[in-house]
Amino acid sequence: MAHEEYVAADGGWIRPEILSDPALYEMEKERVFGRSWLLLGHVSQLPEPGSFLRTFMGEESVIVTRDRSGAIGAFLNACRHRGFQVCQEDRGTAHRFQCRYHGWVYGSDGTLIGVPGEESIYYKEIDKRRWGLAPVAQVDIYKGLIFGNFDPDAPSLTEFLGDMAWYLDVMLDRREGGTELLGPHRWRIAANWKVIAENHCGDEYHIGFAHGSVFPPDLGPMRATPIPGAREIRPGLGHGLGVNIYPDEMKPEEWLNSGINSAPPHVVDYYVATHDEMVQRLGRQRAHMTLIHGAVWPNFGMVPIVNSLRIIQPRGPHEVEMWSYCLVDRDAPPGVKAWLVAQSAASFGPAGAFEQDDAGNWAAVTKTSAGNMARKIPLNLQMGLGHEERSDRFPGELGLTASEINQRGFYLRWAQDMFGSNAA
Amino acid sequence: MSEREIFRQLAVQRWLFEEAALLDARRYDLWLGLLDESIHYRIPSRSPMPQQDVKDFSTWSVERELDAHDGVSLIDDDLAGLHRRIGRLQTGMGWAEMPPSMSRRLVANVLLRDVAPDGKISVTSSILLAKTRSEERVFFTGERRDRLVPAGDGFRLCERCVILDDAVLVAENLSLLF
Ligand code: FES
Ligand SMILES: [Fe+2]
Repeated sequence: MAHEEYVAADGGWIRPEILSDPALYEMEKERVFGRSWLLLGHVSQLPEPGSFLRTFMGEESVIVTRDRSGAIGAFLNACRHRGFQVCQEDRGTAHRFQCRYHGWVYGSDGTLIGVPGEESIYYKEIDKRRWGLAPVAQVDIYKGLIFGNFDPDAPSLTEFLGDMAWYLDVMLDRREGGTELLGPHRWRIAANWKVIAENHCGDEYHIGFAHGSVFPPDLGPMRATPIPGAREIRPGLGHGLGVNIYPDEMKPEEWLNSGINSAPPHVVDYYVATHDEMVQRLGRQRAHMTLIHGAVWPNFGMVPIVNSLRIIQPRGPHEVEMWSYCLVDRDAPPGVKAWLVAQSAASFGPAGAFEQDDAGNWAAVTKTSAGNMARKIPLNLQMGLGHEERSDRFPGELGLTASEINQRGFYLRWAQDMFGSNAA
Repeated sequence: MSEREIFRQLAVQRWLFEEAALLDARRYDLWLGLLDESIHYRIPSRSPMPQQDVKDFSTWSVERELDAHDGVSLIDDDLAGLHRRIGRLQTGMGWAEMPPSMSRRLVANVLLRDVAPDGKISVTSSILLAKTRSEERVFFTGERRDRLVPAGDGFRLCERCVILDDAVLVAENLSLLF
């Protein structure tokens, strides 16, 4: 089926069935999750040789390890004897993984190092070098974030991130010491992964209404009135984000004390005290910018304004497991980290004032999209279509505070990965 | 058990049952009145016990797991935080509880652990919270670790730590309190 049946050539509408169809989901396993760079974790989670963590790429269990030499690698969490999951823990330190079915042993670099009965019942004939854990074809790190790709022929991580990297630096590279990832919180939502990813990628429109309980009543659907300096940015390749841009003459304490940013004095002091370092590292332009929300294609969502990073782990066409982390500057004082962690949970954890109201919306959209009639009726993504702008100061294309520029980019990338058409 | 201890046990149980009834009835206005100014309400995020810690029964404790974890919490509220959390539900835009979910809290296994010299009582209880909203029915179970301070005829809650029995929550959100 041609992609135009699912996503308009200009991205202005989608057919809801792409949010629920089991056959399309099966294709996504290969064409999206089998070929994209997926977020695995952060180097701070693997502090020393032998550190490991368990995560998922699509629905497949993966172990990420730091081996004896300090190198970071990723492997399918599947024993080569019968496929039992050799790692049963979320995180820890181990130089060997022993399968608990028949006892094969693997090193933290994935090599098979032990087979019970190797001499007596295998006649010393098993070639252990050939039966190590299957490595994830490509693993690379961008400023602390570890990504993996199952496809050995996929373009490099740098190419995959494109101009998005320039924006990611705002949260990843403020300080010399880099960042640290804390958490996660994990919970299940009965929604298709794309419904959630597109929301992170570009949905400023819902903030004033779906999250009306958090804002003073007079702010109402505030995103319906464009806010100067608050823009949607489409860096391309299916990534997207929303930012606040502050005038050169504005001081950081002014924006740190406004809106949902408003932080206690010790936190404001920390950001003010480290602002010059940020200017030195990233330049004034990026030091005068905060990221509000965003997503890296396909399922790495973020709400950087509250330091929240999330992996939207697909669990079939109609369910996800949300993994929500808090990202903090590694060298921030403990009191600042503690406040950021608590604020992140209080807004975007499963008990958070924002997150609580999102889940029901995403589940309802997914449910509707499975209806035999409703799945064929196109949904409108035309907000700001044809009004995209360019700026010589910001890579990518820009939309107003609220614009569906990024959702269009997201679904066009989907169509490209699935059917080979051209993405915006 | 001395008569005094039996009396105290019954008084604490009765207070916990009344508290659960207020939450089931969504009388948050009255529930907030049961809290001490110093209230610390916390729900730590769970993660399975590391393998090396489960061999020895004497060290197999939830504390080991909570210590090993990054210390992130699902809820970590003081009194102002709880007021904000509940105030949100009264804005007419707290969609997670509009319409309100139906809930039932069963409180059991009430054990008085300690009475401090200042009179504060440490009590643990098991809770089963059943929640129904639209077509979805979810169950939470967990242990609550409370500290109560005697006040008038009853108590005020000054500390609650809820240890849920889920590493991955099966619920789409936590819109209710335990
Ligand atoms: S399945 Fe792992 S040793 Fe048999
Ligand atoms: Fe939202």
